[in-house]
Amino acid sequence: MTSSVGTEGQTGGQPLGQQAEFLSEKMSEVRLEISKAIVGQTEVVDGVLIALLAGGHVLLEGAPGLGKTMLVRTLAQAVALKYSRIQFTPDLMPADVIGTSVVQENGDGRKSLGFQPGPIFTNLLLADEINRATPKTQSALLEAMQEKQVTVAHTSHLLEEPFFVMATQNPLEMEGTYPLPEAQLDRFLFKLRVPYPGREDLHDILDRTTQGNPAVVSPVVNGTQILEMRKIVRTVPVAPHVQEHVVKLTMATHPENRENLLASKYIRYGSSPRGAQTLILGGKVRALLDGRYNVSMEDIGALMLPALRHRIILNFEAQADGRTPDDLLEEIAGKVCAKQK
Amino acid sequence: MLLREKIKSLVPGQFSGRGCFSALRNKWLQICSEVRTQPHANKFVLARTFDQRACSPELHGLIETLKTIRKRILANTLLRGWTRWFVWMLVGLIAVATVSAKLAGALLFIAGMAAIGAAAILVWTWRNRPSNYETARRLDAAAGMQDRLPTAVYLCGVEHPDGMIDEQRKDTLARLKKLDPRGFFPVQLPGNMKRASVLVLVVAGLFAYRVHHRPPLLSLLQTTARSQLVQSIFSPIVHAMEKDLQRTMALVNMKPNATGDETRRADAASNTEDLWKANDDKGADAQEQKDSADAGAGDQPQDSLQAPGSQEGTPTGEARQQDSNSQSQQGKSGSENADSKSQQQSEQQGPEGRQSLGQSLMQALKNMMSNSPSQQSNNRANQQPPNGQGTPQSGNSQQPGATESDKRGDSRGNSDAKQKATQTASEGAGSQQGSKELRKDQETHPVNAVPDRVALEASGFKEQTRMKIATETGTAQLAVRDQSSRQDAVINGAEQENIPARYRFYVQRYFEHADNGKH
Repeated sequence: MTSSVGTEGQTGGQPLGQQAEFLSEKMSEVRLEISKAIVGQTEVVDGVLIALLAGGHVLLEGAPGLGKTMLVRTLAQAVALKYSRIQFTPDLMPADVIGTSVVQENGDGRKSLGFQPGPIFTNLLLADEINRATPKTQSALLEAMQEKQVTVAHTSHLLEEPFFVMATQNPLEMEGTYPLPEAQLDRFLFKLRVPYPGREDLHDILDRTTQGNPAVVSPVVNGTQILEMRKIVRTVPVAPHVQEHVVKLTMATHPENRENLLASKYIRYGSSPRGAQTLILGGKVRALLDGRYNVSMEDIGALMLPALRHRIILNFEAQADGRTPDDLLEEIAGKVCAKQK
Repeated sequence: MLLREKIKSLVPGQFSGRGCFSALRNKWLQICSEVRTQPHANKFVLARTFDQRACSPELHGLIETLKTIRKRILANTLLRGWTRWFVWMLVGLIAVATVSAKLAGALLFIAGMAAIGAAAILVWTWRNRPSNYETARRLDAAAGMQDRLPTAVYLCGVEHPDGMIDEQRKDTLARLKKLDPRGFFPVQLPGNMKRASVLVLVVAGLFAYRVHHRPPLLSLLQTTARSQLVQSIFSPIVHAMEKDLQRTMALVNMKPNATGDETRRADAASNTEDLWKANDDKGADAQEQKDSADAGAGDQPQDSLQAPGSQEGTPTGEARQQDSNSQSQQGKSGSENADSKSQQQSEQQGPEGRQSLGQSLMQALKNMMSNSPSQQSNNRANQQPPNGQGTPQSGNSQQPGATESDKRGDSRGNSDAKQKATQTASEGAGSQQGSKELRKDQETHPVNAVPDRVALEASGFKEQTRMKIATETGTAQLAVRDQSSRQDAVINGAEQENIPARYRFYVQRYFEHADNGKH
């Protein structure tokens, strides 16, 4: 297979169109590799790949046993990235995540304080059951997720690119958990819901996991190529009416917007500008993965729920009425589309 | 004035033409600057901006295609708008031709409206014409190109594109070649063209009809109004409304009329000549009913009750008949006098003094209500208990009529019809009104004029006054003495305290006459 983006991460002066095609092909291969271990869950896999190429982080929410951890591990193998896993527990301390300064002895026998990096110094971090750690430990991820660096003892340490956090949380066992603060939720590009597999998928899972050897996932792309792909993604043009739609959609989630009675009734806080950025950036990646060179309204519609569902905070009335962020967002999007037409 | 105030607010100082012009110019510039600073808020301005930009040569074909499609969209929009307006004009024409007798002015007006509307639609359509960008969006949505076209049009100003824009443009043009863009927007007839065609035919037929005929709707309404079906539907309603009106007027005027004097009643009676004709008819009907009712008068005890209850005790039927004869004669003489009075007054008033039927009805109603004590006493015989215990009767001419009603057609009976007849024919007993039968009675049994009213001081009369009211409302029934009626009678009896003295005199004479007959 010829690649316009070299294995060393060089573009090689290839036209951008070819690079875009290469990106699309490579991601198809990654999907194929992941599908060796993960049955179904195509939307989740696509969401994870889009977030990876857009440079964001993903929060996976699903019941235990649905393959969240398996998905992250398989992805790490398919993209040939360094992978580490942190099991979040209530007694987990920030130093356990980001590292700490320890006394080290050099060759001269002199002792000095040296930084011992934590498991966060990796390319692909799996924060398993992130909502079980205390807010103090959860906040240790804030700087790493946004600035791609950690600060220990007044010294900032840059994280290696690409840095990609995939956190999981269990929506069922809420006892003994610490819900993620809004600031940290906002730092996740997508919040993906891992659904229960269907009948056929469950048969396939049983066949794969109870017979023969486990699937072997081979690496398809590396970190450098992913970084090049991220640059390509940002060159995709967006038509003004698509961008206008994104702006209207984001503004429509705000309760201050008097035009939208639904938001003022049920939403306490609307989406941040990160929501709009996510929609545009995710739309660009989705367009490239779809073989297009422009963002369409369809891309925005497809990414609306994973991009905005964790960025709006419902009020008590919404909880009393049994409204969820998903159905509210769908109603809001329907109204915005109707107004534009 | 409003404009002047606005301009003054913009340009303080003297109002002048130059200041006005500068103010408007400043306002226009302000609006334009606002539009420019918020291009995303105004899609039309945004789109026009794209149209004015220079386009890359390789996209000229796309732009030409979009212009062709835009013309088709404009043509379709115009056709749709005009057809819709034309349909409304045709509906207006149909309405005018159906109702109006003169068509020339209406036709000119509608023709003018059609022309103005068509011009307005043309201007409005051109003003809101889609831009190239908007056309590209429509074509993209129709062809399912996932926003490739508008993105390419948006980026058409880049003359030497590289990288992703070039790829996007190539991709768009490559996909556009596989399509027939003009096929998505054919010039087609509007959906309501069939409706308009049918309306044109209807209008043509209607105008052809109108050449020799009157407006069809008016003719239809007149024919319908004359039809028996409509009359049969509406006449009961009209009658019911009249009755309600009469009752309302009676309730309103009951108390004032109870204290009214005779002069007023006489004046009113002069205006009721038309009523008398109707009452004559009613009296005839009542006579027929009375005939049938009196056929078994000797057998039924209730008939004996209809006869004027003589004085206390239980008089025989013959005695009652005699009494009633004398009463009726006296009553008729009274009514004759009243009738002659009213005739004289009406003659004095002449044709100018005649009122309309409605006014006459109202006046007659007032008179009837003012004479209600006498009428109420008419029903007393009906409401008396079967034991026949008589109570002193008023000098009403109808009680005698109970025995001699076969010939005289005295209006009194058990049914409502009889009671109605009683209300009309029997009023001559004490009031200025009278009936033909009463006049006949007077001719055959001349008696002296008697007062209109008598004093009804006995509690039984008051009680029956209440009963009369009950029967007037159409609930023909035998009298049932109960506690409530007595209480009501006591209340209503207050009205009878103002009975003129001549009635009292009449009753006294009546009783004297009855006693003499007995002895």
